[in-house]
Amino acid sequence: MKKDTSFKGKLKALTQKKIFTLICLYIVMVIIFSVWAELRHTHFLTVPVFKNILNSLVVTSFLTLGAGCLLIGGYLDLAQSSIGAFGSMVMAAAIAGWGFPWYIAIIVALLLCAVFGVINALMVTKLHFPAFIGTMAMASMVKGLMYLFSSMGTGGTAQNINFNNKATEFIGSGDILGIPFGVIVMVIFFIIFGILMSKTSFGMKVTLMGGSPVAATLAGINAEGLTILLFVISAVMGGLGGVFNCARLSQGALQALTTNQFTGLTAAILGGISFGGGVGGMGGAFVGLLILNTFQIGMGIVGVNPLWVTVFSGILLLIALGLDFLAMQRRAKSLSH
Amino acid sequence: MAKTLEFRGIGKSYPGVRALDNVNFKVESGKVLALLGENGAGKSTLLKILSGDQKPTDGEILVDGKPTVFNSPHDAHAAGISVIYQERQLMPSMSVAENIFAGAIPVKGKGPMVDWKKLYEETKKLIDFFGLDIDPSEQVGRLSIANQQMVEIMKAYRRNSDIIAYDEPTAPLSEKEIELMFQGIEKQKQRGMAIIYVSHRMNEIFRITDEIVILKDGKHVATMETAKTTEAELITKMVGRDIGDTYSNLRRNTPKEEVVLEVKNLNTPKLHNVSFQVHAGEIVGLAGLVGAGRTETARAIFAADPITSGEIWLGGKQTHFKSPRDAIDAGVALCPEDRKEQGLVMYRSISDNIALPVVEYLKKGLFVDRGIAGDLADKAVSDYDIKTPTIMKLVAELSGGNQQKVILGRWTSDAVKTKLLILDEPTKGIDVGTKAEIYQKVCDLASEGIAVLFISSELTEVINLADRIVVMRGGSISGELPRAEATEENVLTLAMADEAKKEAKA
Repeated sequence: MKKDTSFKGKLKALTQKKIFTLICLYIVMVIIFSVWAELRHTHFLTVPVFKNILNSLVVTSFLTLGAGCLLIGGYLDLAQSSIGAFGSMVMAAAIAGWGFPWYIAIIVALLLCAVFGVINALMVTKLHFPAFIGTMAMASMVKGLMYLFSSMGTGGTAQNINFNNKATEFIGSGDILGIPFGVIVMVIFFIIFGILMSKTSFGMKVTLMGGSPVAATLAGINAEGLTILLFVISAVMGGLGGVFNCARLSQGALQALTTNQFTGLTAAILGGISFGGGVGGMGGAFVGLLILNTFQIGMGIVGVNPLWVTVFSGILLLIALGLDFLAMQRRAKSLSH
Repeated sequence: MAKTLEFRGIGKSYPGVRALDNVNFKVESGKVLALLGENGAGKSTLLKILSGDQKPTDGEILVDGKPTVFNSPHDAHAAGISVIYQERQLMPSMSVAENIFAGAIPVKGKGPMVDWKKLYEETKKLIDFFGLDIDPSEQVGRLSIANQQMVEIMKAYRRNSDIIAYDEPTAPLSEKEIELMFQGIEKQKQRGMAIIYVSHRMNEIFRITDEIVILKDGKHVATMETAKTTEAELITKMVGRDIGDTYSNLRRNTPKEEVVLEVKNLNTPKLHNVSFQVHAGEIVGLAGLVGAGRTETARAIFAADPITSGEIWLGGKQTHFKSPRDAIDAGVALCPEDRKEQGLVMYRSISDNIALPVVEYLKKGLFVDRGIAGDLADKAVSDYDIKTPTIMKLVAELSGGNQQKVILGRWTSDAVKTKLLILDEPTKGIDVGTKAEIYQKVCDLASEGIAVLFISSELTEVINLADRIVVMRGGSISGELPRAEATEENVLTLAMADEAKKEAKA
């Protein structure tokens, strides 16, 4: 009945974890790219390349955190990137147009994102919309609102809002002891969320709710409250992605995060968070995101036609999810007799 | 017509498990054969082999004396075999007619247009033959569970199946609906079909079967003639030991004076002026037909559904629960009707499922101490004798009986102070041996002073276990019976009085 605490036992338990498989997959990928790059007379396994990879993770890492928590709780949020883009536009307007200090601008942007999160949550909990439909409609509405918002000062033309600010410039591109500031914040957030989901009662409740909202409710877990909180977290994390995007460009861009509607979700699923909820953790989500970005950058370095990279990314996802699906089917089958 | 089915030396191995071993028996035309055994004895595997879903590792199936190999469910259908599973295999958004004739829809001329008129006429003929009141064009999903079951039966009948196997067909049905279903089986018998009937309910087995095959741990233990055996003998053979008469061996306790639960004039959209009491140490049976409002009453007390008016008193104080959380904190526990969907988080461990209502209790400072959850789970495993190698096993991998024990263990752990335990169909689909264990545990809990509200559709169970029976009908209480007056007849009279009147009018 007791856990096996011997070294061998621990090692065995480790190898059975999904994250172990993911890390192995990642290492194999790095080796393949390294060898491939050498064959093409270029280098993959270098500090600048990995700094570049880490930098590329920053904006989407926040989306992944939000989407990952929400997915563990059994929901998804297709409005996250639109909300984040809206946040980035509000931040730019607050600094450029309203003359707010940079930190107030960020807080205002994140608060607005939180409001959208609450609306998402109420659609799901009160009106009983499937999250897929509710947040998809929300995505379109928020995007439209962002265009309208950006056109307010210009007499009707939607446009990017530019600004100059030393502090946000540092947030976007500064570094401490050679490590990009964004990367530091990202790592801190992953640690906080990792602990939150795996060690606290909040994380345990969210995971159990994701496994079965009905059973959790009947066992006294406030599923409605948790759901609202999760949608707010998803929206605010979208907003934080928007904030870093905005700080990097010194611009509230109309095109901000437009390609990221599914990025957080994809990374989370690739990282072993089950699409049905109730399974997975933040460590996996991080490795999932790492795999996605390393794959794309690696493909670029070895010289694969960028038009093909997107296709291969799709194939990567298909293989990863296919393996997961087969494992699930095998498990379901072994349970059925 | 008039076919026989024979299993000869059937065995089935899965990696690491011998699910079936040398099973031999024969079903004759016009006979009903019961397949009896505890959960995990191999009944489902045998049915899967019969339906062509799985292939046996050894042995052969003989239809009319000829060895037959089924490579797919389609082959089994073609050989005249239908297996009706517990989970009905119907298309809920399609009509009754389309479901019955699926795969053989009549067409105009050579097709491709559907001959709707003929389809509905043929369906109507079948419905009349079984004496039912169903519209052929009605969506199957909108029928009652019992009528959905009848659609399955008609489907098998339409296919001209000569051999039909039923897997616990009466589990979701009320007594009256069971009657309807038995009439259907009787008609099939008369037509010379050979029938295999899987059920845990002894009274049904004695009523409709001719022969009984008992499986235990995949082995074929015995074949007996129904007329020449007794319930006690069957149970002994099935469990492998003499557990005696399940009910008379229970160690019981006398209820105390103290009122734990008092419901006064409770109203919800589905309940009308429901009032009753449960005392400390008392087991109150809540009986009634399916849809009589028993589950609704339980959910209203537990604050899972809102109430329109009325009062609920717990331990002498009026309650104003806003959510199940409030109810749990006040000492109310509910084991819901559908344990897989509502009771358990299936793909989580035993430990997590026991900790489900007490996550806050596990906190040490900011973080959750899973060791505390482990201790709670270890205790539940030993208290209830849950059969598992480790508390980290997923509950989805446990048998139904062990799953139910996990839920019971959850509500009787040291972390919750349960005063009122509401059990909604706690023994549904659970084998005899485990049922007896659960009965004893419920009695033990009552002797510890816990008030128990016991909802069950199985009459024998309520009558024998409860100190008092409250009967519901159409959302109201139709009467109360003390233990001494609790007979099947009395309970049924109270449960169906209105139905009888309705029929008298019609």
